[in-house]
Amino acid sequence: MIDPMLIPWLVAAVPLLGALLGFAVWSHPEKLKVWSVTVTLVSLLAVIVSFFRLTGSTEGLLFVVLLPLAACVSLLGQPAHQEHRLAWVVTLVFLGVGLGILTIPSPSGPIALTLLLGLITFLLYWHHDPFWGPSWLGIGTYGLGTLCAGIAAMTDSAIPSLLACVILLPLVPFHHGYVAALTRLPGSLPSFTVLLLPAIGLHRMATVLPTVSDIVISVVILLALSGALYGVIKALAQSRVRLLLAYGSLSFFSILWWFVAAARTVGPQAAVFLGSMALVTGGLLLAWQVIRTRYGDDVDPRAITGLAATMPQFAVLISLLALAAMGLPPFGVFAGFMGLLLASARTVSVAPFVVAITWLAASWYILDLVQRLLFGRKRPDLRYEDVRQSEFASLLMVVVIMFALGLAPTNLFEGAPQSTGTGATVESVSWNR
Amino acid sequence: MPYAIFVPLLPLLAALIVLVGDEGSRQQRGKMAAYPIAGAFLGAIATLWWVATQGPITLRFYDPASPATLAFPIGFYIDRLSAVMMVLISGVGTIIYIYSIGYMYQDPHDRRYLTLIGFTTSVLLCMVSSANLMMLFLFWQVLSYMLYLLAHNHTHPATLDGAFRTFTLLRVGDVAFLSGIVLAYQLYGTFEFQALFAKAADTPVTLSPWPGLEISGATAVTLLLFIGGMSKSAQFPLHIWLPRSLYAPTPVHALLHAGIINAGGFLINRLAPLFGLSSTTLHVAFVVGTLTAILGATMMLAQNDIKKTLGFSTIGQMGYMIMECGLGAFSLAVFHLIAHGLFKATVFLNCGNVIHKARQDPESPHADPREEEKEFSPLTWSTGFATTLLIPLLILLVTHGVLRIPLLESQGTVIFLFFIWITSSQAILTLTRLRAIASWKVSSAMLLTLLFVVFVYLFAVESFTAFLYPNPDEVASYFQAAALPNWLFDSMVVIATILTVVSWGYLYMRAHGHSQTMWIPGWVEGLGFHLYVVFMNRLYMDEFYQALGRAVMRLVHRVDKHDARWTK
Repeated sequence: MIDPMLIPWLVAAVPLLGALLGFAVWSHPEKLKVWSVTVTLVSLLAVIVSFFRLTGSTEGLLFVVLLPLAACVSLLGQPAHQEHRLAWVVTLVFLGVGLGILTIPSPSGPIALTLLLGLITFLLYWHHDPFWGPSWLGIGTYGLGTLCAGIAAMTDSAIPSLLACVILLPLVPFHHGYVAALTRLPGSLPSFTVLLLPAIGLHRMATVLPTVSDIVISVVILLALSGALYGVIKALAQSRVRLLLAYGSLSFFSILWWFVAAARTVGPQAAVFLGSMALVTGGLLLAWQVIRTRYGDDVDPRAITGLAATMPQFAVLISLLALAAMGLPPFGVFAGFMGLLLASARTVSVAPFVVAITWLAASWYILDLVQRLLFGRKRPDLRYEDVRQSEFASLLMVVVIMFALGLAPTNLFEGAPQSTGTGATVESVSWNR
Repeated sequence: MPYAIFVPLLPLLAALIVLVGDEGSRQQRGKMAAYPIAGAFLGAIATLWWVATQGPITLRFYDPASPATLAFPIGFYIDRLSAVMMVLISGVGTIIYIYSIGYMYQDPHDRRYLTLIGFTTSVLLCMVSSANLMMLFLFWQVLSYMLYLLAHNHTHPATLDGAFRTFTLLRVGDVAFLSGIVLAYQLYGTFEFQALFAKAADTPVTLSPWPGLEISGATAVTLLLFIGGMSKSAQFPLHIWLPRSLYAPTPVHALLHAGIINAGGFLINRLAPLFGLSSTTLHVAFVVGTLTAILGATMMLAQNDIKKTLGFSTIGQMGYMIMECGLGAFSLAVFHLIAHGLFKATVFLNCGNVIHKARQDPESPHADPREEEKEFSPLTWSTGFATTLLIPLLILLVTHGVLRIPLLESQGTVIFLFFIWITSSQAILTLTRLRAIASWKVSSAMLLTLLFVVFVYLFAVESFTAFLYPNPDEVASYFQAAALPNWLFDSMVVIATILTVVSWGYLYMRAHGHSQTMWIPGWVEGLGFHLYVVFMNRLYMDEFYQALGRAVMRLVHRVDKHDARWTK
């Protein structure tokens, strides 16, 4: 019988060990990819086996299951090319560190978070674009995040912890790191970090929220509402797909900030909403990766049309992902969104209008993006090739997970009854979501 | 009767039969899938009979008392309203599907199209048989996206543009609907229809959106839900998606105009006890419906395209349907939407033939070469007099004295009778060409037909009302909630009557060559031309929305540029 205290360590050790062993097949990209995917599946198995013995938390254990899945789909969706090898190994490292932060109690978790943010700052610096301003802002933001996480690990004070949270789960004006991570990180990392960092942010928030003052909460609410509108405006203005997805998800995460700050609790509904939003954004990033693999990194989405007729499998999958991203049923984003709305207190203020605008605008910019790709005339000068097996499996997995998140009852994700002792109370789920 | 669940599932099965299989058996599978849809129609008829004789059917796959069973509360509640709607939808769906097999023959994407028809029929059936507000909203949203997909020819830029606008505008309604159900849940704590109605009636809530303004909870909820209904039923000013979606294949329009667009009327009827608690919402519905009916019908007259003409005709009819709801005449609205649905589906399925014939024969449609009779005809005048004044009096007497309908308490019935009079008189005046032929046979046939049509219609409507809402007190309470101040209502009826009679007189005089002798101020004639141009251009609403979209995007890009400068 394994000591229960060791289980989180073992769960975190599986991908880290896998990353280390990956160097044995470093010179064979295809083998390394297969190995990395296998490691994520083994991690998933380890999480499932030990699910009810892991420490529970207020937002539930959903992320512990989603992280290996997200890593798996992110790796599967990449072409087997030697340029992506480092990204695959780093994905496994991030997975191990992420599982550790979510499951290992203090003080190891905060220290691991500091290391994670430091590593991302380094990666962003390595892949930065000196002519693109937000690239530097992103490095600066994650640098600040590393500092705050370090201070929080040592002193356990509220404000640095909250600052680390607003950088992890992006909140305007601390969103540049998130945008830079989604646009500058190589290979499988953007589609994985889009879930990893916000999930850790939400997890930390459950600890931080009950300890901050009302004034700080008011500021957070104000920033969340303005951030939602800012994200919508920026998403509408983008012609670059990754930026559009980054700002679109920023607006939805801002809504999440508003809900949790107003309620001062982090419940399973918030986890479902965040997990779904992050996964669907990751899925759309992977779908865009399919296009980039065929037509180059800098391809303009307006130049690619008529994929519905020429790449039917891709068209169906990206359409389903777009439906999920627009918040249509029966996918997880809608379910999480409804769960949040129904659990929130009745309020007559500007906030419901902002929420409504955010939800409505997603239908505009996501549909506009997808219909530009899928419809219109087929270009005779382009060579069309439908998704390959691994790409198909990757996108299909995201769609299936979105279905599952939309249909499964939330209490399934509440996990073990133990509490981390954060002081945050879980509001009763009055809707059956 | 748990077998009722197969009614919405059979069209889904049809969709799967078309979708799954190899290319070689595509045509055969397309034909074979008609049987499950027809089976759904037969099942709907059986369900209607069962519901009429045994009472409502409730099937729930969740426990309303338990907080966490299934994510989406899937269940079916089939009462007389749902059963009637299911018969209409599955019946029209069957005809449209069978028609589409031939219509889309050799289309490269016929498989996708037939699958979508089956799937949309299934979604519609699920929507009208929803057991709770949440399930209704789920299928309501899916329907918005189905309309986008049913545009079919997405390689055609105008079709794609129309489909995009349709979806965007429908989402505006979806947002309002979402706000309505969230507020309903926050106020009353349930999505179950019967529990919701009971709680809303028992526990009145007052909201204060801002200082000095108070609004009842029922009004706030129903107003938001009504906006949702407005978008689906193409009510002014959210109507512009309907004419812009007319590039879709003709059978899609038949389904759209006979089924999907009735969603607003169905929603109000489904939630009738809730809407009955808010006079304000019913008055708003009356105003919106009246405005839409007038504007839609006027724009229809100024269009020069057969599909657009039919599209605006539907907008006008939907306005009329919502207006009936606004007067508390909920069952009349359902009767109207069924009649209109069947009529419009027939017209749409036939309009392709008309267009085809017009292309083949340059002289089609044939102009009537007969000259109007120039002389004054006492016979036609007296027939017109009887039609316009004596028959309405007769209708009122029979309605009040024989059918025992309390006219003074139900303004909805008055309006209904008023429209029966106008529409049937107008139809018969046009059909028999009273203006041209002075004949006792024609006149007497016309008057008898008019009386026959009116009384059969009245009888049918009364029977239908009694079928749909067996409790007369419930019907009376809706009429009472929707009642307008008497002076306002009487003025509206009198003004509308005068305008109608004067218009008929003017048309008669003009048809008999007396237009030169009639004195009409110059500014009125000028205004007429200007109005014609305005209505021909559909009130410039498309341009208004385009300008609004451009203004939003200009603002968006300005903010983006400012932000980009700051982050540089």
